[in-house]
Amino acid sequence: MNAPIVSLLDVATYLPGEPIGVDYYEQFAGADELRENLMFRAPKFRHHVGPDETAIDMVERAAAGLIDRHGHDVLADIDVLITHTQLPDMPFYGGGGGMAHRLGMKPNWVIDLHNGGCAAFVLGLKLARQLLASGEGRTALVAVAQNAAGQVFDQEGVRRKAQASVPGDGAAVGLVALSDRSPILDVECRTYGEYAGDMTIAADPPRKWWQPGPGEGCIGFTETKITKVLARGNRQVPEVALAVCDRIGLASKDIDLLVTNQPNRVFLRNWREALEVPKERHRDTFDECGNLFGAGIPDNLDRAIGDGQVQAGDTMLMAAFAHAGDFAGAAAVRWGGRG
Amino acid sequence: MSLPALEDITAHHGGADPIEGVHRIETSPREKATPIIMEMMRSVYPHDEVFGQFCTVTDYVDCPPDELYEYMSDTRSLEEWTYSLRGFTTTEQPGLWLAYDRLGSETRIYTRTVANPVARTVDYHCAWDQGRHLWMIYLMRVVDAKVVLDKPGSVVLWTNCHHPFYDHNPYPETAPPERPVWVGDFWDMFGAGHLLELKNLKAIAEYRHHNGLPVTPDWMR
Repeated sequence: MNAPIVSLLDVATYLPGEPIGVDYYEQFAGADELRENLMFRAPKFRHHVGPDETAIDMVERAAAGLIDRHGHDVLADIDVLITHTQLPDMPFYGGGGGMAHRLGMKPNWVIDLHNGGCAAFVLGLKLARQLLASGEGRTALVAVAQNAAGQVFDQEGVRRKAQASVPGDGAAVGLVALSDRSPILDVECRTYGEYAGDMTIAADPPRKWWQPGPGEGCIGFTETKITKVLARGNRQVPEVALAVCDRIGLASKDIDLLVTNQPNRVFLRNWREALEVPKERHRDTFDECGNLFGAGIPDNLDRAIGDGQVQAGDTMLMAAFAHAGDFAGAAAVRWGGRG
Repeated sequence: MSLPALEDITAHHGGADPIEGVHRIETSPREKATPIIMEMMRSVYPHDEVFGQFCTVTDYVDCPPDELYEYMSDTRSLEEWTYSLRGFTTTEQPGLWLAYDRLGSETRIYTRTVANPVARTVDYHCAWDQGRHLWMIYLMRVVDAKVVLDKPGSVVLWTNCHHPFYDHNPYPETAPPERPVWVGDFWDMFGAGHLLELKNLKAIAEYRHHNGLPVTPDWMR
């Protein structure tokens, strides 16, 4: 007997507040030798989570699009909730429980994924697909909230650094169901645990992230780390994307829509070169939203679906790598249109 | 105290500004140089960029470097490890060998090997059809793997340059009549083709070394 077919039925997204222009950073700009670095060259705009806005708020606002299109019951009936929050509202427990409650769900499964990073949506799809296919429910919601740009990266000292202008905040939800409408054709996730320690929250003077102290915590980057991460991302994203293409019998150049995470322009260029996908078929919002981390893939999907770039019958490929290269994932969906 | 580096160019150029194409830390500090480097780092590189003008292949061979060098420096080793060069015989000119390249029917190939045992460089100077102008130069070097990889054996470097004659046969009158191919027709596959031959060299040398046979066989002595 064949495994049941699981589909990505819809995605909905949310960007907090008005776009923030690059001039916001120019008023703070300090001397930072990384400012000219391609990895940190500023996008024109990004959004910042509001001062009192929680990850739960963001997911609720992203889910509004699903309610608009499918009605309230679509959330009430969810069996599996999978969440990823970049900066949990509370560090001891993930956001899943609170999100389920806010959205009026009583799911049998609530899972918070922290390892997925920029590839969290892909990891969530893999898990949702597996759980639904094995009989654990009929529908799943994958929720991603990226909320570091307006918090960690907007601290007084951090926002003077080149890296601060690149991240952007946003949230997304994906509706997954037992259905043959928009089948998830395949998913590949790989963990490169040897790189897990390479992304750090550094403070000066050094302290544990939760300890009190004068230095603001920021993502620790050095020039040598940056080139290592560049080389890893250059390799890993095409690797997982091509693994999926290979298994579903699709030449990468025939991908109808490629959506990736969007850490910077260099990665975007390198990945489409590696996959032989022209720029017109590689959707990105880097200049409008900056690095959306895990929300990048669903945000770009939402736009491509919404403005008709992707049509029923098209094959969409999502691919991303996380953190400093400790995780990567790719997934392919044959789009069947918003139901 | 620094050495007077580029003093002559500075004097000639009339200023300390860098001349076009030179990136040194004094005038291109790391915050300027790193973006240039990162711009150059790609996921993939076009074939023509990698193999278009210069074609380099490299491999590790588990065989002592001096023995491998000795074998390669004998032109007749090409009879064994190349894909298609066969029937090496001497000519009237000392050191110039004649063979047939079976890639081209009835094609003669002339070879003169210039080797240096200290640097362990082995340069095969070759040409199709005629032995007066040997313009196909295969530059090879055997490096002691102990030094570069901290393990016994050899690293073989092999570079070929895209000589303009690959695109236009300068001596068509020396070609056999009606020959349908020219050696340069194969340039785009040299990267793969030479790697295939380098794998031959590796397999042959490693087989002999692992089985206690002389790397240079008796028939060549």
